[in-house]
Amino acid sequence: MADRLYDLIFICMPATPEEEIAKIVSTLEQTASEHGGKVEKVEKWGTRKMAYRVAKQREGFYVYLSLHSTEGGLIKELERRLKVTDAVIKYMTVRLDEEIKRQQKLVGHREHRARRRPRKQTAAAPVAPAAPPASAPPSEPQAPAAS
Amino acid sequence: MSEQQAPRPSHSGPPREGRSGPPGGGQGGPRRGKRQYFRKKKVCRFCVEKVDFIDYKKVEMLQPFVQDRGKILPRRMTGTCSKHQRWLGVAVKRARNIALLPFATEL
Repeated sequence: MADRLYDLIFICMPATPEEEIAKIVSTLEQTASEHGGKVEKVEKWGTRKMAYRVAKQREGFYVYLSLHSTEGGLIKELERRLKVTDAVIKYMTVRLDEEIKRQQKLVGHREHRARRRPRKQTAAAPVAPAAPPASAPPSEPQAPAAS
Repeated sequence: MSEQQAPRPSHSGPPREGRSGPPGGGQGGPRRGKRQYFRKKKVCRFCVEKVDFIDYKKVEMLQPFVQDRGKILPRRMTGTCSKHQRWLGVAVKRARNIALLPFATEL
């Protein structure tokens, strides 16, 4: 199956000890590798205020993972694990590879256009930048001196 | 053109009047004159910065496009182009899902 990129964010209870969070992350990493995936990046955002109350908590410990998956069952398994874990109060997985593909396409379009555009501009552009540096610098030093 | 335009007012006359009514005000006169005030043209902020992907994780970036109560601001307020407004909507909704932005502020 094609390689897919996912974002996985989960929120732990604010009182969860660091070691437990590390344990959750390591189990997730292990599950990912078992299912032919790979965790690319782990970011602990720390305790931050949530926009609304979740599980009667106003704050939560955010952990962000970026992972590659080649198997559809991996996300299912990861989400199941997070659901079972008591310390985790909320989680979300977002598939991003298609959006990134679209983004790259747009960047490609823009570069293509940019490559085409300069040809017209280069004819006019050298004249414009060339002239001001010659005339502008002399006038600029004079102005501060006068004032 | 004239043939096409002629029947239209009779069919869609009332809604048209309703639409053009408020800005126009009276008949002819004042509308044709100078504009009362000048409105600065709004430019899509994402287009200016050439954003290709609106990240739902950057709350500070999304905040200006959301009301205090959590509503997504309309395009006519923020000047965002339709493409970016669409992406923005998706990003805000994702951020809401993971409690980075509110669905509605609780009192």
